[in-house]
Amino acid sequence: MVQQVPRLAIVFTIAVAILLGARQLLIPPTFGEDGHYRAAAVDSIAAHPIKYAGRQACELCHAEQAEVRLAGNHRGVGCETCHGPAAPHVQGPLDVKPVIPDTREFCVTCHSYNASRPTGFPQIEPARHNFPRPCKDCHDPHAPVPPVTPGECSACHAQIARQKSLSHHAELSCAVCHEAPDTHKDAPRSVRPTKPQTRALCGTCHAAGIEEGPPQIDLESHGVPYMCWDCHYPHFPETR
Amino acid sequence: MQGFIYPNEFELHWSLLIVLYPYLTGLVAGAFILASLERVFNVKEVQPTYRLALLTALAFLIVAPLPLQAHLGHPERSYEIFLTPNSRSAMAMFGFVYAWYLAVVLLLEVWFDYRRDLVGWYQSAKGPKRWFYYALTLGATDLSEKSLKFDDSAGRWITVLGIPSAFLLHGYVGFIFGSVKANPWWSSVLMPVVFLLSAIVSGIALVLVLYMVTTMARGKPVNMPCLDRLAQFLFYAIVIDLSLEILDFIHRLYESEESIEILSQLIEGRLFLSLIVLQLLLGTLVPFVVLGLTTHSFRPKPLIQVPEELRRMLFLLSAILVQIGIFSMRFNVVIGGQLFSKSLRGLTVYKVEFLGIEGLASTIFLLLLPLFILWLLVKILPPWGEEPWNQKPSEVAAIQG
Repeated sequence: MVQQVPRLAIVFTIAVAILLGARQLLIPPTFGEDGHYRAAAVDSIAAHPIKYAGRQACELCHAEQAEVRLAGNHRGVGCETCHGPAAPHVQGPLDVKPVIPDTREFCVTCHSYNASRPTGFPQIEPARHNFPRPCKDCHDPHAPVPPVTPGECSACHAQIARQKSLSHHAELSCAVCHEAPDTHKDAPRSVRPTKPQTRALCGTCHAAGIEEGPPQIDLESHGVPYMCWDCHYPHFPETR
Repeated sequence: MQGFIYPNEFELHWSLLIVLYPYLTGLVAGAFILASLERVFNVKEVQPTYRLALLTALAFLIVAPLPLQAHLGHPERSYEIFLTPNSRSAMAMFGFVYAWYLAVVLLLEVWFDYRRDLVGWYQSAKGPKRWFYYALTLGATDLSEKSLKFDDSAGRWITVLGIPSAFLLHGYVGFIFGSVKANPWWSSVLMPVVFLLSAIVSGIALVLVLYMVTTMARGKPVNMPCLDRLAQFLFYAIVIDLSLEILDFIHRLYESEESIEILSQLIEGRLFLSLIVLQLLLGTLVPFVVLGLTTHSFRPKPLIQVPEELRRMLFLLSAILVQIGIFSMRFNVVIGGQLFSKSLRGLTVYKVEFLGIEGLASTIFLLLLPLFILWLLVKILPPWGEEPWNQKPSEVAAIQG
C-alpha cells in the first residue's frame, strides 16, 4: 500500500473522532426527544419568572383609566404595552411603580410616519410635529383623538388658520371678512375670494359706541386716511 | 416606495451580503470546473492555470460562508448544524455539502497535486519552514514512481468526484432561490441551472484575470494558447448561460402569470441599470461579441484577426465585464426578488448602506479577503511549477546553461 493512504486515513479518523466526541460532549441530553430541539428547553422557558400581569390585573385598581381607555382609540392597546411589565407592581403596588412614558420617543414607535402603515392610521413626522413637546401635552394617551380633517379654508390656508386660532379673532370664521365663491376651490388662482375694501367692515365690531366689545376707536378720526390693515394684521391683531 | 406594499416588505431582509454569497460560491464552482478541464478532459492548453484555479477555488471557498455568518450573526453557533443535522432543511444540509467540498474535494485534490512539491520543499528548506512543509506532507514523503502514480490517479478520481460536487455546491444556491414558490421572480426550476452556468462563466473569467495579472506581475510572458483557450471556453459558457437566461425570460413571458405586470415594472424601473445595462449589455453582450469575434470559437480561425497584445487586453476587459455582469446578476436575483410586494401591487426601494455589518464596506472587505488568502496560499504553495524537480531534464540543462 502506498504511504499516502494510511496517513490520510489517520487524519480523517481524527476528524471523525473529533466530530463524534463533540457530538457526545455538546449535544444536550434531551435533544431530539420531541423534535429537532432540546426538549428540556420547554421546562427552562416555563421556569422564567412571569413579568406581565395582564390587563385585568390593572383594571382591578385603575378602573377609571380602564374605562376611558376602553372608550377611546387605544382600546386595543394593553396597559403594559406603554407602562411596561407590571407583575412586580401587582405584587407590591407601593414598592414598584410602573413606567409612565412621557417622552416623545415612546409614542413615535407606533405613530411616526412609515409608508407601510395602513391608510388613516395617525402618523406624524416627529421632527416637525410640535417638536419638542411631549405628546401627552396635547393628546390624552388613554383616549387619544385622531387628527381633525382640515376644514374648508384651513385645508389650504393652514398657516393663517393656525395663526388666527391663537389670536383674538379665533372665534371669527373666515366668511366674516371674505366671500369665497364655490368655484374658488376648483380654480383657486383664477377665482379669488373677496378682501375687505373699506374701514367700515372693521368698524362693524370696533366702532365707538359698541359696549362690552372689542377695542373701540373713532372711525372718523383714528388713523385717517389709512386702511385698518395698513397698521393691524387682521389674522393676528395685537393685544389690548 | 411606489403603489401598495405589506408592512414587512418595506425594508429588505437580504441585502448586499446575500448578494455576495452566491457570487463567491459561484466563483469557487467555476474555478474548480475550469481546473477539471485540464485534469479530466485533458485540455492541455489550460494547464498553466490548473493549480492557480485550484488555489483560487480554495481561497474563495474559505471566505464563501463568511457573508452568511456576518448576516445571521452569532457565528459561534454555526458549528451546531454539523452536530445536529436537520435533514429536512436544505440550508442545514448545505453545511455538509460545503464541508464535503472543502475537505474531501478541494483540500484532498490540492494535497495530492502538491505532494511531490511539498516533499521537495521539505527536503530543500531549513528551520521551521522545513517542519512546516513536513507537517503538510502528513509524513508521506515517499517519492517512488508507484507513489507518484497513485497521487496522479487519486487526483484524477477526486476531480471526477469534484465535478458533480461543484454542481451541487452552486446548484444548491440556485435551488434555494428557485424553491421559494411564493416569489415569482425566484421560483423557477431553471434557477439552479442558470446559477451553475453563470458560476462557470464567472469562474473562468476570474481565473483568466488572475492568470494574466499574476503572470504580468511576475514579469513572465503570458501563454497565449492558454489564454486563447480560456477565452474560447469563456465564450462557450457565455453562449449557454445567455441561452438559458433568454429561455427563462421567454418562458416567463409566455406563461404571463399574474406577476408579469409588476415584474416588467421592476425590470423597466428599479433594475434597469443593474439588469439591462450592467448584466445584459455590459456583462454579457459586450463580452459575447468581443470574444465571439476574437477567439478561435469558429474554427479554423477567428472572425477577426487581432494582434496578440490587443487580444490580451480585450480578453482582460471582457473577463472584468463578465465579473461585473455576474455580480449584477446575483444582485438582480437577490435584491430584485425583494423589491416588489407579494401583493403584486407595489415596489419598495433598496438603499445600500456604507458602514455596518450589511454595508458596502464589509462587502468590499469580504470581496478582497479571498484575494488576500489566495496571495497567502500562493506564497505557501507556489503554483507556477518552476521548482527544479518539476523541470524536464532538457529544461534543467537549458537553465544551467
